[in-house]
Amino acid sequence: MSDGAPRPRVVALALAVGLVLADSSIVVLALPDIYRDLGTSVAGVTWVLVSFNLVMALAAVPAALLARRAGPGRTAAVGLAVFAGAGLACGVAEELPTLILARCVQALGGAAAVTAALELLPASVGSERRAATVWAAAGATGAALGPAVGGLLTELVSWQSIFLIQVPIALVAAVPILAVAKHEAATGILETELRRTGRPHLLANLALAMISAAIAAALFLLVLLLIEGWRLTPIGAALVVTVMPLAAILGSRIGPLVPSAKARAGAGAIFVCGGLASLAYLPKAEVALTLPPQILIGIGLSLVLSALTETALGGRAPQAIHGGWTISARHAGVVIGLLALTPIFTADIAEQRRDAIDAGTAVILDSQVNPLVKIGLAQRIGDQLEGEEGKVPVIGPAFEPLPEDPEERSEVVGLREELQDQLDRGATHAFSPSFLLGALLALLALIPIGLSRRVEL
Amino acid sequence: MSPALRAQVLVGAAIVSAAALVGIYLAAGGSSYEPEQVQDPCQQRAWSNPQSLGEIANQFSISALDGAACQLGVSREELAQALATPEGRERFTERYGIDDEELARAIRAGLLRAIDDAEEAGALSPLIGGPLRSTVEGIPLDQAVELINNARSIFGGVDGLLGPAADLLEELLP
Repeated sequence: MSDGAPRPRVVALALAVGLVLADSSIVVLALPDIYRDLGTSVAGVTWVLVSFNLVMALAAVPAALLARRAGPGRTAAVGLAVFAGAGLACGVAEELPTLILARCVQALGGAAAVTAALELLPASVGSERRAATVWAAAGATGAALGPAVGGLLTELVSWQSIFLIQVPIALVAAVPILAVAKHEAATGILETELRRTGRPHLLANLALAMISAAIAAALFLLVLLLIEGWRLTPIGAALVVTVMPLAAILGSRIGPLVPSAKARAGAGAIFVCGGLASLAYLPKAEVALTLPPQILIGIGLSLVLSALTETALGGRAPQAIHGGWTISARHAGVVIGLLALTPIFTADIAEQRRDAIDAGTAVILDSQVNPLVKIGLAQRIGDQLEGEEGKVPVIGPAFEPLPEDPEERSEVVGLREELQDQLDRGATHAFSPSFLLGALLALLALIPIGLSRRVEL
Repeated sequence: MSPALRAQVLVGAAIVSAAALVGIYLAAGGSSYEPEQVQDPCQQRAWSNPQSLGEIANQFSISALDGAACQLGVSREELAQALATPEGRERFTERYGIDDEELARAIRAGLLRAIDDAEEAGALSPLIGGPLRSTVEGIPLDQAVELINNARSIFGGVDGLLGPAADLLEELLP
C-alpha cells in the first residue's frame, strides 16, 4: 500500500482523524445556542453530544473489522463521505430529533474513517509505532481544539456552520484516500489477519473510559457554567476554554521526558482530578479562577490519554481493532459521564436558582428602598423570571430604568449587585456536585492504572 | 535523572499541585460560595429603629409577610414573589393547592402579627393598633395583598384605610 504520494495521504488521514474526534466535543460551545434555537431542554440538547459519542462507542470495533474485511482505503473513503453527508444534514436540521439522527449517522461514518485510518497509516509513515503516535496526536489535537473552534464558529457565523464547514474538509481529506481504495480493489484484502486479533487491554481501556468521562464532565460543565451560569458569549467562553488545549500542549512536552506510561497515566489522572475538584470549590464567580484548574486538567488529559492509548495499543495487532477498542472506550466514557452528570446538574441548577432568587428577594425585602420601588422591582423581576423559566435569569433589565433620585438610584444599584451576587453564587454552586463526581471518576481511574502492567512501545 | 526518579517527580508534582490548588480554593471560601440561606418566617425578626413613616411601613410589610408565610409553611421570600404579580399568585396557589380564601386568611394573620410586632417594638400605639386589627380582620384578599405589598397605604396615604390615624402615627415617630 505504498503507492501514490504518502505525505498528502498522511496529512489527509490525520485531518480525517482530527476532524472526526473534534466532533465529539466541537458542539459543546454551541449547545446553549442549539438549546435556545430548537427550544429544547438541557437534558434534550445533551443528546446532540451523547448520540454522536454513543454511536462512536458502539461502532468503532465493528468499523475496524469492516476496514479489515472491505479494505481500509474503501472504508475510510466511504466513512468520510457518510460523515460529510450527515454533517450537511446536521447543518440544515430544524428539529432536535433530525439533528440527533444525523449526528448518529455522522458518528457511523466517523468511526469507519478513524479506525480505517489507523490501518492505513503504517504503510504511509513506515511503522506501526509511528502510525499510533500520529493517530493519537491527530485525535488529541482535534479533541482539544474542537470546543474553541466550535465556539468561534457559533459566535461568528452560527451553530449550523460547525457542521457545514466539515463537509468540504471531509471531502478534501477523502481525495488522497481514494487512490488507496482503487489499489485495494485491484489487489484484494488481507482477510486471514483477522484470525490473529488479540484481546483488548481491558485495564487500559477501562481507565480510558473513566478518564474520558471525567474530561467530558470538565468540558461540558465548564462551558455550561461560563455561558449559561455566568452569561459569557460563546466566543468569550471559547477563549476561556482554549487554556485547556494550550496546557495539553505543555503536557505533551512533559510526557516524553518520563518513559513510564504508568507514571504518566497516574500523574495525568491526578492532575485531572485536582483540576475538577478545584472547579467544584470555586470561591467566586470569576473567569480567572477557572484558569488554574483548566491548566491542571489540560496537562493531565494530555499525559493520561496518550499513556493509556500507548498501553492499549502497545504490542497488539492488528492496530485498527485495538484502536477501535480505545475509541470505543473513550466515547463510552464520554457518554457515561454526560448521562450520569446531566441529571445531577439539571436538578442542582433548578434548586440553586430557587435558593438564589429567594436570597436575592430577602436582600430586596430587607433593604430600605421605597416600598413602591420595591413593588415595581418585584413585579419586573417576576416577569423576568417567568420569561426565563428553568434557566439562570439575566436580572439587569428588571432594574431599568434606574430611579432619578441619586440616593435611591445608588440603593437600587446596590440591590442589583447583591441580587446578581446571589445568582452567581447559585449558578456556580449548582455545578459543584457534578464537578466533584467528575473528580471522583478521575480518581477511580487510578485503580485500573495501578493494576495494569507496564507496557512500553 | 533516572527514569524511575523522573516518574516519581512527575507523580509527586501532580499530587502537590492538585492538593495545593484545591486547598487554596477551599481556604478562600470555595466550600461556602452558595446563596445565603433565608430565615425561618416563624422566628421573630428584630425591628430596626424606624426613623420615618416609610421605614415603619417597610418593617410592617416584612412582619406581615413573615406572619403569612409562617401560617402557610413557606418562606417569606417565596410568598413575596408570589404576591408580586397576579400570575405569580396563581402559580403559588396551584403549587400548594390552596384557594384564595386560605391565602386571604394567611395574609390577614400576617397583618395581625405585624400589628403585634409593631406595638411590641413601640412603633405603633395601641390606640391605632386596635382599629387596625378590626380593619384587617375583614378585608378582602386583593386589598390584603395590596396592604402587604405596600403598608404605607395603611399608615399615611390619602386613600389609606385610617386617614386621620396617620397624623397620630406621625406624632408617635421617634
